[in-house]
Amino acid sequence: MIATVAQLVARRLLAAIPILLIVSALLFCALRLLPVDPAAMSLPPNATIAEIEAQRRAMGLDRPLPEQYLIWLGGALHRDFGRSIALHRDAGALVAATLPVTIELALAAMALAAFLGVGGGLLLFHLRGTLVEPAADLVSILLLSIPEFLWGLILLFVFGVLLQLLPFTGQVAPGLPLPHITGFLLLDSLLIGRFDVFLSACRHLILPTAALGLAFSPTIMRVLRSSLFDVYHEDYIQQARLRGVSERRVLVGHALKNAALPTLTLAGVQFGILFSGTLLIEVIYSFPGMGNLMVDAVRNADLPLIQAIGLTYCIVVLLINTIVDALYIVLNPKLRVR
Amino acid sequence: MPFKLQRRSFLQMALGSAAAIGAPTRIASAAAADTATVGWPNDVPSWDPNQRFTPDAQPIFKAVYDQPLDQDPQLKLIPHLIKSWTLAADAQSMAVELRDDVTFHNGDRMTAEDFRYTFFERIKSGIKLDTANSWKKVQDIVIESPTKATMKFDSPAPTAPQWLAFLGSYVVPKRYIESQGLENFLKNPVGSGPYRLAEYELNSRIVLERYDNYWGPKAKIPRITIEIVKDPSARVAAIQSGQVDCTVNIPVLEVERFQKQSGFAAEINPITRVILLQVRADLAFADKNVRLAAHHAVDKAALSKAFYGGAAVPLAVLATPGTPGYLPDFTFKYDPALAKELLAKSDFSPDHPVTIGFATTNGQFPSDYDIARAIVQMWKKVGIDADLQVIEYAKYFELNRGAKLPEATLYSWDNATGDPEIFSGYQLNPKMPFSPWKDEDIGGKVLTLFGVADYDKRIAGYRELERYAVENGATMPLLQSVVTVVRKRDLQYTKYGNGWLLPQTLQWT
Repeated sequence: MIATVAQLVARRLLAAIPILLIVSALLFCALRLLPVDPAAMSLPPNATIAEIEAQRRAMGLDRPLPEQYLIWLGGALHRDFGRSIALHRDAGALVAATLPVTIELALAAMALAAFLGVGGGLLLFHLRGTLVEPAADLVSILLLSIPEFLWGLILLFVFGVLLQLLPFTGQVAPGLPLPHITGFLLLDSLLIGRFDVFLSACRHLILPTAALGLAFSPTIMRVLRSSLFDVYHEDYIQQARLRGVSERRVLVGHALKNAALPTLTLAGVQFGILFSGTLLIEVIYSFPGMGNLMVDAVRNADLPLIQAIGLTYCIVVLLINTIVDALYIVLNPKLRVR
Repeated sequence: MPFKLQRRSFLQMALGSAAAIGAPTRIASAAAADTATVGWPNDVPSWDPNQRFTPDAQPIFKAVYDQPLDQDPQLKLIPHLIKSWTLAADAQSMAVELRDDVTFHNGDRMTAEDFRYTFFERIKSGIKLDTANSWKKVQDIVIESPTKATMKFDSPAPTAPQWLAFLGSYVVPKRYIESQGLENFLKNPVGSGPYRLAEYELNSRIVLERYDNYWGPKAKIPRITIEIVKDPSARVAAIQSGQVDCTVNIPVLEVERFQKQSGFAAEINPITRVILLQVRADLAFADKNVRLAAHHAVDKAALSKAFYGGAAVPLAVLATPGTPGYLPDFTFKYDPALAKELLAKSDFSPDHPVTIGFATTNGQFPSDYDIARAIVQMWKKVGIDADLQVIEYAKYFELNRGAKLPEATLYSWDNATGDPEIFSGYQLNPKMPFSPWKDEDIGGKVLTLFGVADYDKRIAGYRELERYAVENGATMPLLQSVVTVVRKRDLQYTKYGNGWLLPQTLQWT
């Protein structure tokens, strides 16, 4: 099994190289087709035309597009993604500083989405054939139709403003420190031994996590339910019943394991979408993640930063897909090569 | 014996943790007197205060850094780091005397070396700073003693004193930056202001701690947390729930709602920011009748009532009430009948309208897009067909430089100093990128005024220019803009005419 997983990871790493090259090239060209002038953007408003031209030459913008891309690529391979036009800081460093915040939020949201999705899927399946089934089905469709940013606003209003139960700005309460060791606040707060910071971080994470988790769990719910329907017609399910295994054990111990496989694949795809869905949630909840950075970058036409963030999203999605496929091999013995 | 976590024990632990995390703790509605939290709409672009001119960041910079000169709440220029200054009669030099009791947050004493470094050496070194443009006339700064220096300009700089209290003009520590390097300065900024930066998280929060060795009046609140809350709805929610003690720039309708709630003080304050229509001197606006008709057709009072609760003052000139260039007796009436008459002189009418391009931002300032749409409707009634297009603010200067802006552009112009050079001077100067109006008549007048050293003559000149510009349709001032502030009733601050909400003026009562 380990060998199979290792082979998969190696193949994926090799495949990632051309994928990243193509994505970065497409992104680079698309951004340069936008009607903005990075040279002018990086200078004060009253810069003269001569100064802008000089800046354009200094930035290499007067060179042919393929040459500009190769210069950028050369820098990227040395972890130099250029300087943010608006923030005058290294674009790569900005992404590195904000990425852990987004990953932490996305992981928490995905865990919640998986928990709600699996639990909800099992419940929906359990209610099959009952009088409650149509209502439960309707509820799951209703949940499916609410996008994450709407959840974000609803939860903010209900729990933040109306009931004043939970905080909704930033990562921790004012007055508490923000430790910087790994960039993952929950982990860092424990590393410095500040349980108060850890608790505050958890509280601040609840609403944005719930917004994302509630938005993405219904799809998992419904796919799991469909998979369970398919699996329940298999012979081994009947055999298990004949052996006297309880219905609950048949569902959880036998059917779920096999029904989980397509759900796992979907969850992997969902995670990629959820990761980009953090963008609006971070703005609503003032989380200093990559999404928040991207919004500013787009507003300021900050091309180097947009490029760096776009590429990072691509890498994260590739990584997620690789992990999901590896888990698939772990869970599905048929895929293991002897 | 191996430990086996039983399901019951696990559930008990999980529930206990959940209770601790989710325990409903009412957010304290009255913060301790030694802290305050402010919900702010934007982060600073950088901790180098000379680097980027960002009006929103000025109150934060003024907490951490000091400017050579300052303004009182009525915007009168007052001494600050500079105790006294003398602008030469020809405005080509300015002698300054600095305070001798100023220290930076790292303990270094501020001297004329730091002043020279900020306004001359840094700029000449080639670092990309916005101050390089505002101070490009500086030929040298001659140091006569640790507290005395003379600025030398290569051409008259009559507003040099005003600029020493304006965007980007903050004294930075020479020794610290040269020894630590710029990158370290940006990560660990050191100023001489009433607060020092204690913590900073990009796009999240800024924590300021009082600097107890500050040379001036000590800030009343020892610790200020500025939460960056970009979304206006989230800022409303934050102040409503008590998560912040004060916030700014929330929708006017929300302010009106807060005004009816006890526990809050909600204000709509007019400031030294003008909302105007910038116009071109060519294309369809080459015709003066069309320009003047477009101006007469706009009901400014209606715009103020609809979008700013009536708090935005309609303007006839490019200056706000209380500033030197303001003409209280000059009016430009809303007169759609007159607008139609003027258009008829050029063979236009509602049935045979003139077509113009009209650009606006969307979200750059409150209700910008809605104001533009309202103006389109007002123009339609008199015979002006406006093709409205939305442009990004980031794109505005590029379009202007390339003479690609349409006939009219809705714009918001901030001038914290209130000086008329920075109002109509900058807006009508053909050599500056802030206006699409380019002509020799008004342009020539403006360029002459830029060289007038005598203050009273300069102000009188600008007053005359403003009247002339409006009467000739070269500019269409609309409204004095407003800033909204909502705070807990027992949190006081000093109100400035330019809208500054300075952390050092906050205090609990």
